[in-house]
Amino acid sequence: MIEITAYALQILLIIIAIAIVVHKNNGTIIILITSFSLVTASLYVINNAPDVAIAEVAIGSAIIPLIYVISISRQREFIVLDRAMDDFIRKTFDKEGDGYRLLRDFSEYYKLELNISNDPELCNYDPDKDQVICEKTNVDLIIQKDEKTGEYLLKGKDSSVLMHKLEELASNYPNIKVVRFKDGEFGD
Amino acid sequence: MNPLLTFLVVLIGLYGLSTSKNIIKSVFCVTITEAGVILLFLNLGNLEGGSIPIFAEGLVNIVDPLPQALMITTIVIGSTVTALALMLCIKIFHHYGSVEWDVVLRDGGEE
Repeated sequence: MIEITAYALQILLIIIAIAIVVHKNNGTIIILITSFSLVTASLYVINNAPDVAIAEVAIGSAIIPLIYVISISRQREFIVLDRAMDDFIRKTFDKEGDGYRLLRDFSEYYKLELNISNDPELCNYDPDKDQVICEKTNVDLIIQKDEKTGEYLLKGKDSSVLMHKLEELASNYPNIKVVRFKDGEFGD
Repeated sequence: MNPLLTFLVVLIGLYGLSTSKNIIKSVFCVTITEAGVILLFLNLGNLEGGSIPIFAEGLVNIVDPLPQALMITTIVIGSTVTALALMLCIKIFHHYGSVEWDVVLRDGGEE
């Protein structure tokens, strides 16, 4: 009886593995990998290893799908720190700011989820080194306003391909300037 | 338990690893391969009709506990390797704007 169950579970395992390799949608694969872990856990019990099965159920079918869900949902997040504090990136009912239109086109091109914050605690200006230090989170873009000329400065990392695209889009707007920093200077 | 059917799971995982176009899909295939290898090792230490290696009076035919101890370590380390690989996927997306192998290899070759 146990022999037949073991064969049936092994064939089910192979079917789920083929389904994971063939499927294209990552959300479906997360559900499939959970059932894959449960089938392997029952095969461990059949192999006289209940301690390994406990670890597999706890880690393989609870923590690993959680890691996948968090990382897939956070993958397209783009954190923008707004230090200009005016209607540059706001949308009101009758007019749209230049920055709002620029960032909307940019996020539609890469299908990003913009996370715009104006919390001054996130980054602080270091007068000794003449640069902005962001320690707490991974800020991708900082918006600042030059008080003398009235230009808006968008600061980002030099290594990112996303910033090249943003610079290309920003060339249509005369009052927006994109500044790129090397990774070490930006304070990642 | 047939070791050949278990080895087929390892082969399916390696096939998916070599043909997948998405980086996150490759991480899924690493997980499949790892589960297949764990099953092969447990099958090596298993005795047909043996008893589980938990102490009780009058036990005979205890299965080998050494592969089981090693495989618990493999499961725990595998989960941390998955977390590290997915963190690198997020970094790659913010650097190249895509998680497809084609785009990443093409843009990485230019620099």
